[in-house]
Amino acid sequence: MSDDDGESLCCCEYYDKDKNRSHLLATCCFCEDFDEGFESLITGKGFPQHRRQKFMATVQDRLRLPWRGGAKTVSIEAVIPIIVLPTIFIVAAQSLWWTVFSFSTVTVFLLYIFKFLIKVTPKTKFFFVWSVTSIILLYIIFEFIVIPFLEILFEENIALSLLIGGFLFCLYTLKVRANQYHKFQADSENLLHPGTRFHNCSICQTTVPDKDHHCVWYDCCISRQNQCLFIMSLVFAFAALLYSSNLTLTSVCHPFELYETILLPDDCSEVYQAFELGISFVSAIYSMILAVIVLILLLQQILLVSIGLTRKEWNKLPFSSKCLLGVTSRKSHNRGFIRNWSRIICWTAPNYSIVSHT
Amino acid sequence: MYVKQNAKQDNLESCYYSDILASRNFIQIDEIARLKNFVMPISGGEHKPECDHLPSSSIIIPYRNRTEQLGIFVNYMHHFLQKQRLHYRIFIVDQNNTNLFNRAKLLNIGAKVAIDNGYPCLILHDIDLIPLHYGNIYACSKVPRHMSSSLDTFRYNLPYLTLFGGAVAILSEQYKEINGMSNLYEGWGGEDDDFYERLVKHNLTACRFCASVSKYTMLRHEKNLKKSGDRFNLLKKATERSNYDGLDSLNTEYTVQKKPLYTHIIVS
Repeated sequence: MSDDDGESLCCCEYYDKDKNRSHLLATCCFCEDFDEGFESLITGKGFPQHRRQKFMATVQDRLRLPWRGGAKTVSIEAVIPIIVLPTIFIVAAQSLWWTVFSFSTVTVFLLYIFKFLIKVTPKTKFFFVWSVTSIILLYIIFEFIVIPFLEILFEENIALSLLIGGFLFCLYTLKVRANQYHKFQADSENLLHPGTRFHNCSICQTTVPDKDHHCVWYDCCISRQNQCLFIMSLVFAFAALLYSSNLTLTSVCHPFELYETILLPDDCSEVYQAFELGISFVSAIYSMILAVIVLILLLQQILLVSIGLTRKEWNKLPFSSKCLLGVTSRKSHNRGFIRNWSRIICWTAPNYSIVSHT
Repeated sequence: MYVKQNAKQDNLESCYYSDILASRNFIQIDEIARLKNFVMPISGGEHKPECDHLPSSSIIIPYRNRTEQLGIFVNYMHHFLQKQRLHYRIFIVDQNNTNLFNRAKLLNIGAKVAIDNGYPCLILHDIDLIPLHYGNIYACSKVPRHMSSSLDTFRYNLPYLTLFGGAVAILSEQYKEINGMSNLYEGWGGEDDDFYERLVKHNLTACRFCASVSKYTMLRHEKNLKKSGDRFNLLKKATERSNYDGLDSLNTEYTVQKKPLYTHIIVS
């Protein structure tokens, strides 16, 4: 092993959990726990508990993606969306009943897995992978199945791609800003910044200034420093989802013109006659559902920023107070409508370290 | 020049077309089934306006077993064409066998009958297409014209520039010059692209009216698009074949019947 030290790993190599250098090609070779366990299983003694645990640990350890500087581990639950989403789409494209069935199954599955994963592994990448897979899948279906119908203009395609580009830019910048919290964590004790409150995020395991909430779908914390980007990303996402579903639906369905300007679908009865039409239709329906969810989140964010509440505070409000849009509740951070907005729009990185020395 | 092919008839006044061409009204899709007010045509679906009209148009429609659409289409087109003050006749070319639908061959047969009846202008038209603008005049221009460039099922966009199917107007002379369409496309697709290749070969550049005038809606129907498996191979040699495969190589039997609203050509 000492010979290997210092030598850099190729993209398929890694150090396993026992610090031995391995290669991805040997993934299925030499698993002592499996061999022993299987032997005792066929000899009728059953798969022993400790062997089973060790075997699962080995599987976790060996499931890796080739990466620059050595293969990286992939957690099992983070791979699920990459398999589940395309499968759901293909199944749903068969007929209307399959669409209804698979979409309701996914809803139940997501609700269940949300509760389960937040409890068991709060740091899971499952939801982030789900978001990324959705975006990639929807974009692939649009570019490689809907565009070849030759019914969408080049300009419309560019406009949609720009909206998606805007969304990705916001998401990226938002995550970069969120990762800067780690820097602040060390000296958060002696930070002196008027109006700044620090919250511990159990999922990020860092201290987050002015935290609003933790977004599992973006896999980062949303606070005052990236809330503006968060809202912008929701706007872009909503526009892109709605626009793409409209483009797709008017391509695969029979369209009509509303007030001779807006093209809307009116008869989608023929979409399950061909797989290409079916999967395009399903992707459009999925986009619409996402658009509705994004719109609800967006409206909630706009309301909360306007009245100066954080998501956490909002969730703690009693139902009666929520019905009155939180107007009656105590809002310790409220600085008035304009100031609430200006403090997230004009957010600049405060110079924490200088403040702490004075 | 071709405009003068119709001899001045009985010193009639020239038909007035400017108001039709300048009209800005669209026909709403829900009106289509209701627009049935027209003068009963002469037997065989022919109508002459009482003025000196544009060269006569023959509307040629390949057809098989879509009775409901036929009713809507024929009624609507009589209304539409009479509004346009045209001399026209509607030919329904009916494929009366169980082979794959051969749209191009039916159009060739219809064109042959129309030319034999002395029509200088051919409108090759699908039965499920309904024009929505009176300004889309159903007469021939000097060059072949693609009429249905703004179709609702295509989101009112033109899928590709060389598309030349759906509804097309072409002079009989030109149709004969290019030897009509290919007879070999059985099943859906390809024959319109083949047709366009022939036009290109004979230096006939096609034209289109602006998109707002060229609006069409497609009547709904069960899609039975058994695609022509051979269409890509046929298309590769489209220009080569045009000399021997087309209007002059028709060897199919057909009978012509005059019905009140259209001329029925039954192809067996």
